[in-house]
Amino acid sequence: MTQSPFKQSPVKRLTHATMEKYENVWFGIATAMSVLLAVAVFASFVSGTVPRLEGEGGAGHHLQGVVNGRVDPRNLAGTPFSKPGVVDNADGTQTVFVVARAFAFDPGTIRVKAGVPVTFHITSGDVLHGYYVEKTNINVSVIPGQVSSFTTTFKTPGPLNIVCDEYCGTGHHNMLNKIIVEAPQP
Amino acid sequence: MTVSPPYDTPAPQRTLEPDAYRARVAPAIGDAAYLASLKKVTQYYVATAFIALFIGVLLGPLQAFNYAGINVYENPILKALLKSYYQGLSLHGVLNALVFTQFFISGWLLYLPTRDMGARINMKFAWGTYIMMTAGLLIAAVPLLLNKATLLYTFYPPMEGHWAFYVGATIMVAASLLVAGQVVLTWVGWKKQNPGQVTPLVTFMSVSLWMMWLVCSLGLVAEALLVLLPWVFGLRPGVDPLIAKTLFWWTGHAIVYFWLLPAYISWYAFLPKQAGGRIVSEPLARLTFVMFLLNSTPVGIHHQYADPNISNTWKMIHMFLTFLVAIPSLLTAFSIAGSLEDAARARGGRGLFGMLTHLPWKDPVVVGQILAMVSFIGGGAGGIITASFAFSPVIHNTAWIPGHFHITVGTAVTQTFMAIAFWLVPHLTGKRLVAPKVALASMWLWFIGMMFFAVGMHWEGLLGVPRRALISAVALPIYKEGYMHSQIPMALTGISGVILLLAGLSFFYVLFATLLSPRVDDAEAATPLPYSETISPAGRSLRGASPLVRATEPLLALWVVAFALVALMYGPVLMRLTQNASLVPGCNYYTTVQSEVGCNEQR
Repeated sequence: MTQSPFKQSPVKRLTHATMEKYENVWFGIATAMSVLLAVAVFASFVSGTVPRLEGEGGAGHHLQGVVNGRVDPRNLAGTPFSKPGVVDNADGTQTVFVVARAFAFDPGTIRVKAGVPVTFHITSGDVLHGYYVEKTNINVSVIPGQVSSFTTTFKTPGPLNIVCDEYCGTGHHNMLNKIIVEAPQP
Repeated sequence: MTVSPPYDTPAPQRTLEPDAYRARVAPAIGDAAYLASLKKVTQYYVATAFIALFIGVLLGPLQAFNYAGINVYENPILKALLKSYYQGLSLHGVLNALVFTQFFISGWLLYLPTRDMGARINMKFAWGTYIMMTAGLLIAAVPLLLNKATLLYTFYPPMEGHWAFYVGATIMVAASLLVAGQVVLTWVGWKKQNPGQVTPLVTFMSVSLWMMWLVCSLGLVAEALLVLLPWVFGLRPGVDPLIAKTLFWWTGHAIVYFWLLPAYISWYAFLPKQAGGRIVSEPLARLTFVMFLLNSTPVGIHHQYADPNISNTWKMIHMFLTFLVAIPSLLTAFSIAGSLEDAARARGGRGLFGMLTHLPWKDPVVVGQILAMVSFIGGGAGGIITASFAFSPVIHNTAWIPGHFHITVGTAVTQTFMAIAFWLVPHLTGKRLVAPKVALASMWLWFIGMMFFAVGMHWEGLLGVPRRALISAVALPIYKEGYMHSQIPMALTGISGVILLLAGLSFFYVLFATLLSPRVDDAEAATPLPYSETISPAGRSLRGASPLVRATEPLLALWVVAFALVALMYGPVLMRLTQNASLVPGCNYYTTVQSEVGCNEQR
């Protein structure tokens, strides 16, 4: 479709000078916005709002059979993953070992305490899985051969659903478990 | 190397040719047989692309119904065709996102720069790459159709598919690299023949895009050749899923810009003419494409915030670079809005918003592209949220993600390509668009359908519904209780499936009826390439060009910088991963018979 003939008197059209002025302002706004975004996320990250994954050598990776955050998924015997479950530590914190396999998490239901730091170590025995705790920002990939570790504190008692959110096969949608957050004992 | 401008001499007076503001005319090609062959190979690419999209689109509503809680995959007729929801989803993703885009772009961006430069390319080579790409597609299609490669679009190992899938996909990507090479070399030849000349805008955009693809596809090439193929052929004892995933996203994020930028080319160069306005600024368009060439590749790790054993520092750096990619997109938004305003005013529009009514709202080519841009506003905003390290865990792998990419690639890209087809097919074939009113309706339906889908899926995602899951078949009460509050978004998603089916059927009716109709026009005369006038042109001689034009012209040097950047941003990460490689055996959990599944322990 081509330009229609002017029905009214010729319009004052946009000029190069006008456009360039606004262009520069817009470019400045866009750049400032991008930098501000990065700073804001960085701040939220440093302040610990997000449970961050501990990489190689981080706390919790001094586990038996775990080297540089890696573990052999065919040989979980001899590692803490041979007995998945919740461990109560001497200092009152808790450690949870989870093994994901198509199509369930082991252990099935986890009971943790509200208000204490809980460190999770999760690995997969077969393919990629996801570990997503509903209504929280806990959402990590579970990869065979790799251990995902992070520490979080549950504030409110109550049940939470754990959903596998990475496609793992025909039964993927049925791969669900529960975390039950228990009120602290008086 | 490109001809470098004489920076050491005093800045020359900017003397643009008086006709630089006028719309460009494609250089005439005297050889009719050559032109016919060039148009034909483009037509083959485009037609193959839309056939793939047709099948992919027909599978779409099945997925939408699943997210409305309706499981149609138990239907006996469907069961005979598709073994599972996951097979349907694999086909939907691969056909729409990989095959459609790859074929359309290879045709569109072989044709445009070739015509723009008035170049004579080797047609045997061009046909050879088309045949190679199609062969790759067919090889990969067999295991997909037989449920032997139900790996979804990402094909994350150690989920193991039939070797033919990996071989076919590799051949397809390799063919696109040959198209890229042909275009880049043709441009290098043009530069030699035209020393001191500014590369015409459309060629500039096309060449920088192909250069970007050559940088970003390295990840996928490395994944296929070094990781996946040695593994499926048993040459390696196993596969490191994290290395494979990292290489995948090296390509996998930048690939979205490989899809998007061909739409940008249409928005920048052709839409102004189609709407009745002018290109705002050619130098700015060049800057945008250079920013994408440099900045769209080294950002893929923002897809891996949730992955262990990649340092948080690298994730942060990639996040920051991702945010910077928003800048060229925002520049584009400015530029296109300016072109449309110029068009509306030239057509007699007045006032702040009142002028909008003066745009050609009856032209499906214009309407399709404008609607695509409107939806991309939401897509871009969602993308910034998705790329944020802090927000990502809330929506990572939830239904939000498909909601997001259906209004980016599914609308901004796909709908633009659809709208382009409305003039490109007549331009290539000399046939006339059948039923323009149906074409116009299909554009509105597609947009409205995608809006319903996007709202439904983003909402479901925020309520915790995971992506890529047959949620309509979940038996466990835990799921039911979890998704009870999702009924409204689920209904929206279901309705979107119906609207999109209607949109797809009306679009494909117009497209296929046009393709099958008799030739009536001299295509070159009746539908010329819609070059636009320019408010601020780049000019033709580098000596008289603005500093921005001269700085962006040496594309080969900028390409080297792009390689260096991606090596800097991925080198240390991949080095660390390969030093600690953890090989695991392949598994197959996607066939329906449970007893057949399991991990291959022999390997």
